Amino acid sequence: MSQTQKNLYEGMYIISSSLNDDARNKALEKVLEGITNRGGEVVKNHDFGRRRLAYEVAGHREGHYFVIYFEVTPTAISEMKGEYRLMEDLVRYMITNPKRVMEKIEFKSLENE
Amino acid sequence: MRGRSRGGSRPRPKKKKRCPFTAGGVKEIDYKDVETLRKFITDRGKILPRRITGVSARHQKLLSNAIKRARMVALLPFVDRA
Repeated sequence: MSQTQKNLYEGMYIISSSLNDDARNKALEKVLEGITNRGGEVVKNHDFGRRRLAYEVAGHREGHYFVIYFEVTPTAISEMKGEYRLMEDLVRYMITNPKRVMEKIEFKSLENE
Repeated sequence: MRGRSRGGSRPRPKKKKRCPFTAGGVKEIDYKDVETLRKFITDRGKILPRRITGVSARHQKLLSNAIKRARMVALLPFVDRA
């Protein structure tokens, strides 16, 4: 199995909404650096906005969502996950394998209901 | 007779059910599309059975996977109210 091949990933990150803009950008920067420092490439970075969480996560009722598309090697992913565990401002994250990069996050609504 | 009729009640008229995803030619269901996903959960947050929504088997699988992902990132509840 080749671990040098870069794959496309989609990461959703929830950063604490109690941070001010500066601190939030710093936290986001840290996530992005975690990608680039491992030879990865950030393809797209969406601000998915501040949202109410559907349930409480570690005392948070709200969070600031980011959707980041990036390319890294599989080994880098596990390293990054280890790093995320230490980031207190990162309320939650989820990394998925997307089929393609979404240039814009918007959806068509179902027509006939 | 379709089995379920009790006490002489007439069989309920069959409602036409069509899969809204098949009709719209939907190929993928994204976990970020909360607005759409919400139409397929109860107000307690449970996934509606396709018996009720008429979603095709293929799309029900995509839909349930999307809902479960959305739950993991707190976009949708695991349980709501009570």
